Amino acid sequence: MMTSAPRAARDAPRVLIVGGGGTGGALAHDLTLRGLHVTLVERGEFTSGTTGRHHGLLHSGARYAVGDQDSAIECIQENTILRAICPGSFEENDGLFVALTDEDMTYYDDFVRGCKECGIPIQELTTDEALRLEPLLNPGTKAAVRVPDGTMDAMRMPLRFFATAKHHGARLYNFMEVLDLVTGDGAVRGAVVRDHVTGTEGEVHADLVVNATGPWSEAIARMAGVDVAIQPSPGVMLAVRGRLCNMVLNRMHRSGDGDIIVPQRALSVVGTSSWTVDDPDELDVPEDHVRRMWEEGARLVPSVAQAEFRAAWSAARPLIGSGGADSGRELSRTFKAIDHAAEGVEGFVTLTGGKATTLRGMAELCGDVICAKLGVDRPCETRTFVTLPHTAFYADPERRLA
Amino acid sequence: MSSMGTRRFRVYRYKRGDPGWRFDLFVVPVTSRTTVLEALRWTQLHLDRTLALRHSCLHASCGTCGVQVDGREVLACVTPVDELGATITVEPVANIPVLTDLVVDMREFVARFPEEIATVRASEQPAGAVPPDGIGAYGRFEDCIECGLCLSACPVSATSDAYVGPAALAAAQRLLEEPRGVDPDRVLDWADDPSGAWRCHAAFECTAACPSNVRPAERIMALRGALAGRGDRA
Amino acid sequence: MNDVPGADRRAERGPVLRKGVGIPASGWFDPRGRALGGFAFSLNRVTGLGLVFYLYLHLGVLSLLLGGERSWSDFLRLATSWAFLSLDILLIFGILYHGLNGIRVALVGSGLVADRQRALWWSLGVIGTIALIAATLHIYGSK
Repeated sequence: MMTSAPRAARDAPRVLIVGGGGTGGALAHDLTLRGLHVTLVERGEFTSGTTGRHHGLLHSGARYAVGDQDSAIECIQENTILRAICPGSFEENDGLFVALTDEDMTYYDDFVRGCKECGIPIQELTTDEALRLEPLLNPGTKAAVRVPDGTMDAMRMPLRFFATAKHHGARLYNFMEVLDLVTGDGAVRGAVVRDHVTGTEGEVHADLVVNATGPWSEAIARMAGVDVAIQPSPGVMLAVRGRLCNMVLNRMHRSGDGDIIVPQRALSVVGTSSWTVDDPDELDVPEDHVRRMWEEGARLVPSVAQAEFRAAWSAARPLIGSGGADSGRELSRTFKAIDHAAEGVEGFVTLTGGKATTLRGMAELCGDVICAKLGVDRPCETRTFVTLPHTAFYADPERRLA
Repeated sequence: MSSMGTRRFRVYRYKRGDPGWRFDLFVVPVTSRTTVLEALRWTQLHLDRTLALRHSCLHASCGTCGVQVDGREVLACVTPVDELGATITVEPVANIPVLTDLVVDMREFVARFPEEIATVRASEQPAGAVPPDGIGAYGRFEDCIECGLCLSACPVSATSDAYVGPAALAAAQRLLEEPRGVDPDRVLDWADDPSGAWRCHAAFECTAACPSNVRPAERIMALRGALAGRGDRA
Repeated sequence: MNDVPGADRRAERGPVLRKGVGIPASGWFDPRGRALGGFAFSLNRVTGLGLVFYLYLHLGVLSLLLGGERSWSDFLRLATSWAFLSLDILLIFGILYHGLNGIRVALVGSGLVADRQRALWWSLGVIGTIALIAATLHIYGSK
């Protein structure tokens, strides 16, 4: 049952969120429920940065169960919460981690133990059982473990957070680009924006500004005179025609290239690779990476080799950590809310890192930090608040999901 | 990546407050693999930051990058420049109000849909596949990615804003095909309207334009068959 | 917090692109980006307009009968000329196309044959072409 949260009182604090990906949208939803005035500005369409481009995995955390357990635990907790607060936004078919070689099998015991330590429910399967679940799986599969993966619509699931925030009074503006931050007396007081809808410029003032721009975090932080150690780390993905699996298929090994196939409607998405760049706006789609997707995808599901090409593209992850990591794979996938008061700049917080699956959890953390800073004594409500359907962003909130 | 040359892009431009629209001409370097969207994003990054574009997934899954290229409805992210001419005209989709430049305001598109919409349906699966315990049947998202290309291509929508359009009717027919708890009579009542299923004139442009295999025209005809079949209502 | 500049303008209804040349329904005859079904639709409308025009023309012609035998004979001389008979071929094309496509639309639009609209267009087209050729031969043969 959906209930309306009270809108912000006239004198409630005002927060400006820069960045309209899943992070910004979830934070807008969180703060709106806590009674703050929220304005969000995004230079393009919502989720057009990194959020919309990922393969759509609703992460079980199993990929990180051995090497990055903080991230794994965050994932499985948020996985469960998201299914409850965004019903109808997932293909809930679970996933498989598949061992193809003897070398994969050496990882098996660590993997199973790691999942149990992180609270990820699993089921160990024989080859026959796995092939019954997914007949197109490589028949040379040695073992498989079932995990609670799922598929999300990478744009429409986050759009639900925007829709809900909007209906509770948040002002969300796409095609509004931040040109500079307004600073004074050692504090950030707002932003200079260009509205691409009208072609005019103006200023927006706020009690606090949040930098939620993902791989662009560095560029925005510099406007406030601070640094954030965010390493844009792109990866390539390949979409082929045909729904070659219903469950998410993962290769059982430490993270590597092309080790996941995510079904999305009538397409199958093979991902991904990893390298680092300085400018997240200039992303190549390296041909050799795309070829690797074809090859590795075909190892999991041989039919990939005959499938028709649909698209190949790159997306930049926002990885927390300084330059120095070569491939981006060594950096953690966890997230952080950074209060720049520690660097002498008030009124400015950066929320970054994370994965698509952890958007709500990131917002909760940041919401707590912001409310503590602004003296607002309101707890987070997003764990149980069922979000409006994504269509409510454009239309009547009374539309019901079948 | 070696450059294969350049193309001229004739791009529709409009900002609120302008007296009207205009076309800007951009010369863009392209390779054999460049898509229309990549060329437009290059333009935005290097030539004109005020160019507003809609995109998100970059792989024909979100439906936000729908445009008209040389008068044809396409998703820009999967339209190779290679197959097009030396000068390429890019306009927003038709029959939906323009917000700015190539971006349309999806409110009127979404408002046409029936009250109940279903997002998840039964999935196709290879012969012999059995879902795991605890999952009754494999599910997947409906094909429709709400791109609006069908509404843009429809000749009836060109002259009538009241017509609910192919996407909405196709979504309704999907609820007849797979009810998922929705009362079929409610769906049929909604479609049984001069501006509903009866307004279609079988041009089939919607099915031709759809990038996601929804086949709206066939579904509208099936809807009409169902309406005709249920007889007169008091 | 002040609202962002120009925010209120976003709620306005912007311009709407329509296919064609700015005149309503001209988009029906825009050939760019059309598939077979759209072409069939456009031609249906052209022939429909043509037939309506012909109807008025026909009524006008029939009114010549009021002028007596002389005015009618004058007309018959015109009506059996090559130019006029060629226009009759065009009329027969319009009748055949509009009628046969109408049958196609009825079959498809009632949900009976929705899946095979292209095949139906071609097969009815073959029938129509044969009928048109037969009519043409008959008309020219009897001149």
